[in-house]
Amino acid sequence: MVGTNDPGLLVLISLASGPRHGHGIMLDIERFGGTRLGPGTLYGAIARLEADGHIEPLPTEERRRPYRLTEGGRGELTRRLAPLRRAVETAIERVAP
Amino acid sequence: MRRLLIRLYPARWRRRYADELIDLLDATGVTPWIAVDVLRGALVEHGRAWRSRVREGSQMTFHFAWRHPGAWALVGALLLAPTLLFVAASALAHEVGAPGLAAAVEPALDAVNAWRPLDLLLVVAPAVAVLAAVLPLLRLELRAGEGGTEAIVAVRVRAANVVVILAGLALGGFLLAHIVSESVLQVGR
Repeated sequence: MVGTNDPGLLVLISLASGPRHGHGIMLDIERFGGTRLGPGTLYGAIARLEADGHIEPLPTEERRRPYRLTEGGRGELTRRLAPLRRAVETAIERVAP
Repeated sequence: MRRLLIRLYPARWRRRYADELIDLLDATGVTPWIAVDVLRGALVEHGRAWRSRVREGSQMTFHFAWRHPGAWALVGALLLAPTLLFVAASALAHEVGAPGLAAAVEPALDAVNAWRPLDLLLVVAPAVAVLAAVLPLLRLELRAGEGGTEAIVAVRVRAANVVVILAGLALGGFLLAHIVSESVLQVGR
């Protein structure tokens, strides 16, 4: 399970590998993060990320609307991952024999 | 169920995301956990919409059934009726000593005393009735001012609602006094 309870970060990570619709994002997060976001939590995160310009909607496909990461969103993801990476690297150094 | 859950979201949010969220709920199904998650999401979105409107300086008005005060006065009266009937019959039977009434009321009293939820319902009913009659008379306006958020409370008067409020307060006060005096007597014994 990924050590974050930030749904926005999980959505950004999911969309970093390509556009996905809501259900696809939910399944992907479950796959890589081992956590299942509820539909209300997921769409709350999607709405905030879209309002902040970090993700953007694509044309609807069979009632489902895919989203993709914007350039700003990629930068935001990099910015948010930096402290996590530092924490993980520090932890690995400290537990290494 | 899905559409009912979606209706809990603010209208602007629904216009943009309702179809997608319904599609997702079609895929996941609605379990109690998911219903709670969607309910929590709706509350969060209402909070965000409220903060955003106050920031933009627009006015927000909260009012409960402002257009139908009479209907809610009637609801309040109907809620009060069983308790009022029960208290009036008990008082007539035991305080005034109306002939024959005590024997008729006693089984009902025993039934109420034996079944705790009904007892509680009769005691709580006046408070709920007062609330139902009061809320349609109140309106709260929030607007962003220079010194922060200003709250303006408007109160109006409707005769039917006032009657229900006074009756509810009197009945509630009587029941409370009765319960307190009974407790004091029990402790004293």
